[in-house]
Amino acid sequence: MIAFILRRLASAVPTLFIVVTISFFLMRFAPGGPFNLERPLPPSTMENLMRTYHLDQPLWRQYITYLSNAVTGDFGPSYIYHDNNVAQLIGKGLPYSMELGFYALVLAVVGGVVAGTIAALRQNSFLDFTIMSVATIGVTVPNFVVGPVLTLVFAIVLAWLPAGGWGDGSLRFLILPMIALALPQLAVFARLTRGSMIEALNTDHIRTARAYGLPPRAVVVTHAMRGALLPVVSYLAPCAAALLTGSAVVETIFTIPGVGRYFVLGAINRDYTLVMGTVILIAIFVIVFNLVVDILYGLLDPRVRHD
Amino acid sequence: MTEIVQTPVSAPETRGRSLFQLAALRFRRNRAAMAGCVMLALIALFSFIGPFFSPHTYDQVFPSYVSIGPSLEPRPDTSTLRDVMEGVATRARVTLQEFNVEGETFTATVTSEQPIDPRATRYFDRANEFENTKVVATEDDGRRLRVEGQVDREYFPFGTDSNGRDLLVRVMLGGQISIAVGLLASLVSLGLGVVYGATSGYIGGRIDNVMMRLVEILYSLPFVFLVVVLVVFFGRSFILIFLVIGAVEWLDMARIVRGQTLALKRREFVGAAQALGLTDWQIIRRHIIPNTIGPVIVFVTVVVPKVILLESFLSFLGLGVQAPLTSWGALISEGANNIQSAPWLLIFPAIFFVVTLFSLNFVGDGLRDALDPKDR
Amino acid sequence: MTEINDSILAVRGLKVDFSTPDGTVEAVKGIDLDVRSGETLAVVGESGSGKSQTMMGIMGLLAKNGRVVGSARYRGQELVGLAPKALNKVRGSKITMIFQEPMTSLDPLYTIGRQIAEPIVHHRNSTSKEARKRVLELLELVGIPEPARRIDSYPHELSGGQRQRVMIAMALANEPDILIADEPTTALDVTIQAQILELLKSLQKRFGMAIVLITHDLGIVKHFADRVAVMRRGEIVEEGTTAEIFERPKADYTRMLLAAEPSGRKAPPADHAPIILEGRNVAVDYSIPGGLFRGAASVFRAVDGVNLRLRQGQTIGIVGESGSGKSTLGRALLRLLPSSGHYRFGATDISGFDRGAMRPLRRELQLVFQDPYGSLSPRRTVGEIITEGLYVHEPDLGRAERDRRAIAALKEVGLDPASRNRYPHEFSGGQRQRIAIARAMILKPKVVILDEPTSALDRSVQGQVIELLRDLQQKHGLSYIFISHDLSVVKAMSDYVIVMKNGRIVEEGETDAIFEAPKETYTRTLIGAAFHV
Repeated sequence: MIAFILRRLASAVPTLFIVVTISFFLMRFAPGGPFNLERPLPPSTMENLMRTYHLDQPLWRQYITYLSNAVTGDFGPSYIYHDNNVAQLIGKGLPYSMELGFYALVLAVVGGVVAGTIAALRQNSFLDFTIMSVATIGVTVPNFVVGPVLTLVFAIVLAWLPAGGWGDGSLRFLILPMIALALPQLAVFARLTRGSMIEALNTDHIRTARAYGLPPRAVVVTHAMRGALLPVVSYLAPCAAALLTGSAVVETIFTIPGVGRYFVLGAINRDYTLVMGTVILIAIFVIVFNLVVDILYGLLDPRVRHD
Repeated sequence: MTEIVQTPVSAPETRGRSLFQLAALRFRRNRAAMAGCVMLALIALFSFIGPFFSPHTYDQVFPSYVSIGPSLEPRPDTSTLRDVMEGVATRARVTLQEFNVEGETFTATVTSEQPIDPRATRYFDRANEFENTKVVATEDDGRRLRVEGQVDREYFPFGTDSNGRDLLVRVMLGGQISIAVGLLASLVSLGLGVVYGATSGYIGGRIDNVMMRLVEILYSLPFVFLVVVLVVFFGRSFILIFLVIGAVEWLDMARIVRGQTLALKRREFVGAAQALGLTDWQIIRRHIIPNTIGPVIVFVTVVVPKVILLESFLSFLGLGVQAPLTSWGALISEGANNIQSAPWLLIFPAIFFVVTLFSLNFVGDGLRDALDPKDR
Repeated sequence: MTEINDSILAVRGLKVDFSTPDGTVEAVKGIDLDVRSGETLAVVGESGSGKSQTMMGIMGLLAKNGRVVGSARYRGQELVGLAPKALNKVRGSKITMIFQEPMTSLDPLYTIGRQIAEPIVHHRNSTSKEARKRVLELLELVGIPEPARRIDSYPHELSGGQRQRVMIAMALANEPDILIADEPTTALDVTIQAQILELLKSLQKRFGMAIVLITHDLGIVKHFADRVAVMRRGEIVEEGTTAEIFERPKADYTRMLLAAEPSGRKAPPADHAPIILEGRNVAVDYSIPGGLFRGAASVFRAVDGVNLRLRQGQTIGIVGESGSGKSTLGRALLRLLPSSGHYRFGATDISGFDRGAMRPLRRELQLVFQDPYGSLSPRRTVGEIITEGLYVHEPDLGRAERDRRAIAALKEVGLDPASRNRYPHEFSGGQRQRIAIARAMILKPKVVILDEPTSALDRSVQGQVIELLRDLQQKHGLSYIFISHDLSVVKAMSDYVIVMKNGRIVEEGETDAIFEAPKETYTRTLIGAAFHV
């Protein structure tokens, strides 16, 4: 097991390297730069800025400098948030994004699996149809619609919950953004669970369990459920990585000071270092969660145990 | 276990029913999926044909009708017309004495202390509401004018946006762009994914390893974000948007096609083709790709809504198609910002958007059931 | 109907139907059947006869669209329409089942010990400790080596035969009255088949339960069953003691089934017949990939130093169990996979030929596969399928000429030429196999390798396909290599037999010599398992 984890972590290094390289050059070959504002800066100021941030050096030199700094954990200064470097910005924002994302993840997985299982057990009933219609709405309505509607109903009309902000970090502030964040994923989990559950209920070994007179609870929970969860678990990795690294949309609508906004702000302002920092952050999350899911998978399914 | 049907083959030119025709038959029996198809057809007609029947164009601005709510009544109604006329009179520095509307024509009597220049009718025409104003009588030495003209009444069943543009036409245009982006991007991802996946899966071995390793690496790039980067850095043209989205969405397609290919490769008809001496490329073209069509079609019905959503996400970030062009996503994000003051700006595009994606989902589910090999 | 005084399961007027989009399909059309205490009743029929669905219906295990009506009384208790709770008191306790597919019938996610214990804990309310003890006894009983270690194995760690033993252990756990065995040996190799049947027989003696054996294999029935019910298209066409059925069959269908056992012999070709295909020191290695960080790939030798000479007009039968390398050998001889050794086709040395060099020779060397459902591309018409070889080897042929050849080929294999416009899924298994043969024959080959061409077919259809293959051989002077695990078919088809095991030739010789006087123990086991059970 430990050997497996080490092997996987070792193979993550080249992956990260390639991701960094692609992003770095893609960005640099694109037109524009961080200081090309609408009103051009005087040439001397521009020259100064370029020198300060080493943007006047040849590209390969910048690349090597960036790589060697990044290895030591120095991701450079941000060009737009002058007071902070990239590591500080991410360090400040990440806890907010992760806390919110964690709650949303729990809500999405638990809600989705329960709803999907119920729908599968009552296949083609009215209940099934209702759950799946709601799930389809969940997938199709973008969260920048869900967000404002939630705010309007619960914060403005009913005035039950705050409209936005982190406040004191209590649950009251988190409920609305959590729902907006979780809803589409919850719908995906519900659909996935329903599909794999129906498939699992039709397998030969479920027939065996029924032929041996096991009670329905044992058939569904012990035998069908565990097999049906496998595809759900594989979706967990991309989903967790996406939720925990923050959502630009939800963080903007609910004014949450997370890292989600940095992706977009960094890109729009051509804040090279901030963009690179967030790319690396997301790539690390994706790699780590893929690993976690593979380990989980091994625990659930003895056929793929890693020794 | 079903009885093996001994098909009597007697008629000399019998045409068999292909699996596709059988799937089509099954699909037609699925009511939800057929309803979805009809819905999609109606929405497509609405978006692409609708603008020809509308008197307004998508970029036409009506300064008098900024952010007015949806109504089936013509705009403006008589009471507002009077207010408008008052305003016109004030601008023309005359006093409104009398104002009547009958059908499409209006009559007004204006007075002033000085004789009125007949050219003052220009002020009337300048308002959106009135046209062809002419003086019909001059009284009191020109200090009293009776004017007559046509009322230009507009219908805004969906209301107007904050720039005074007809939302109905905007929704139609948004539909055109969203549907086009959805289809074209899916085609891009389809082409890339099918060829890449089939090649990688069929050739196998080291080449497959390298090709799939590349896909994995591309997976760990944060893709939504990569789209943002590309669009920001390379501009916001319509073509680029669907190319970029298509280039992002092909990974799943490639994986699915590869999985299918690996399964097909073990099927004996591929072995039979090899034994007949077909080349690899002939086998991929004649045997592999046609047999991946089922899952691929199903997957396209998943990609199209995903692409439309992705485009709307870009629009929300202000990176979608440029004004005055618009898409459903752009309209929705605009509406979401004005949800309190002008909820119809959100409601109408959102209805079309959700109904389209909903229908696509039903069509996709129907196709999946119709093409399910277990049902054969 | 026979007297029913000692009947423990009485089935009366049982009907099973399925609602499909194309209307209702009647799988079982009102049958009467009795199972007596301690007997073995065989329910025999070809695929689609409704034999499995009868039992599934009684046990409440039909698919969702299935419906069962009629009556099935177990010791007076009506099972049809019984509430699930009450039915669950019978299932797994009084009546148990084993299934055809030992690979998929066990839950892959739990240890076998846990799965066998489940019905014990549930039906007998025993503690898990007691149940575990019982499981160990049962594993011992069904002949699983090292039960104490195996009890914690997962199904995928066992072989097919061992898994079927586990299923039997599970079935015996609560000492049932009736054991329903649904094609229990079909998915297993012949030698293992015999062991499993032997095991069932000895356990029956010990526990005295009745066995309902559902099978298509008359060979098994003859040596195993006390009574036989023959089913066809949802009806019982004949019922009686095993001796009656085999010696004095009344129904035409039963007679047809009994006669379907392949018969006849093939005379060997003249000694001076030229050698048409030769392989010397044929060896094939499969590498099991190691992956990026998993160390070196390991190598598995599937065929190990085999020599084979095929004369014109000869049929060499290659027999062996799954994994013996017989199919791999066939493909290696056609140079379809990387292999070492020396190969000669006619006068040409083809040892060093790559794919491109082999291509022109492909029309002379053809291959017919086992699975008539998998070997025809589902999205092409029959016409397109059988003329595909012409598309490669005679690309200049006009449409009309290609069509003419397709018609001729279909006629030759006994199919209506009009079928060339239809799709494979519209044909039965036997018809599909004829299409596959037409695809090979249209090229006028010299050598055809037949890889289990009849294994997926019902007995009655098998005979017709064998007949067809023999006719074609005579007419065109073909040479066959006939690969099969079914010894009775090999005996009827070939004049020379090669017995393979673990990639090597164990024994070879003229057909009669091999079958009458086998020298090796392995050959004797194979023959014994296939012909005497």
